[in-house]
Parts: sequence; structure tokens; C-alpha cells
Amino acid sequence: MTDIQQSIREQVEGNPVILYMKGSPQFPQCGFSMRAAQALAGCGVEFAYVNVLEDEGIRQGIKDYGNWPTIPQLYVGGELLGGCDIIMEMYESGELKKAVQAATESAE
Amino acid sequence: MMEPDAIRALLEAGLNSAQVEVIGDGRHFQARIISPDFENLPLIKRHRMVYDLLQAHIDSDVLHAISMRTLTPAQAAAEQD
Repeated sequence: MTDIQQSIREQVEGNPVILYMKGSPQFPQCGFSMRAAQALAGCGVEFAYVNVLEDEGIRQGIKDYGNWPTIPQLYVGGELLGGCDIIMEMYESGELKKAVQAATESAE
Repeated sequence: MMEPDAIRALLEAGLNSAQVEVIGDGRHFQARIISPDFENLPLIKRHRMVYDLLQAHIDSDVLHAISMRTLTPAQAAAEQD
């Protein structure tokens, strides 16, 4: 495993809810990342994030790690939950809130 | 550039009894896909099935982004009520 894959693993396993996005929740640099961050904020739990625009290695590496072609990517409880479409669909159905709350509680 | 119809054909060929609607501008697309293959699968697995069918075009960046909804026939029927 490369250093990049190892550091991604540590981030994903060290944070119950972590969003890989372009920009930050305060200053998103892409509409898809913005919607994902807003949905997550709407769930009322704290979440970590990584701005992939600050690290080219992670920007590519997270696509390999998740075997997922796009960013944003949301990891909950160490597992890839999905990208923007899935985040939004689960937010609207209420499933996102349940998933992130459960992961946050089990990490406490 | 890729025609929405080309994406629709790939998805219909790769999924059983699929009903597919695709719109797009040649690089960015939106798709609504109905197939019984999605039964009992979480969204991430459904989306992976779709990405797998389009992988070559995503890798070459001909297909830059596709936003999708993946529904079972029962879910699609419920939306029409």
C-alpha cells in the first residue's frame, strides 16, 4: 500500500463521518461538493472533511481507495456510503441522518 | 462527445429489463434507470453497477459526469402514484 493510500485509510478509519470534497464546507469549489456538505450539515452531526484540491495525491488516491470515479465521496463508519447523488437521495429520505448519527454514536 | 442514446444503449444492454432515460450535453448527463436488477441492493451497489457499464468512457473522460437515480420497478411505480 502506498503512503497516500495509507494516509487515506487512517483518515477514513479515524473519523466516523468524513467527506472528501472540492473546497471546504464554508467555501466549496464545486456544486456537487457544496450540496453534499450542506446535506451533511443538515444532519446536525460533526463531520471531518478533506479538501482534495489541496493535495493532488489524495485527489486521485481517493478515487482508487473508494473504487469510485467522482468526488465528493462520503465515508461513514469506515465505509464508502456514496457520492453526491446518493448523499442527496439518502438525505431526502432521512436515511443519511440515521446513518451518520449511528456511526457518530458508535465512535464515542 | 457522447450521445445520450449511446449511454442508454449501454445501460439497457447491461441490465435486465431496464427502462432508461438519459439527457445530457455530450459530457455531463443525467439518467433515470429502472431495473429489477436493483432489487435488495443499497444505492452504492446500484451506482457501481451503472459505473461498471460505463467504465471505459469514464476512464477516457469522454463521459465526464453522470448524475443518476436508480430505481426498482416497484419504486418507480410508487413514484407515479
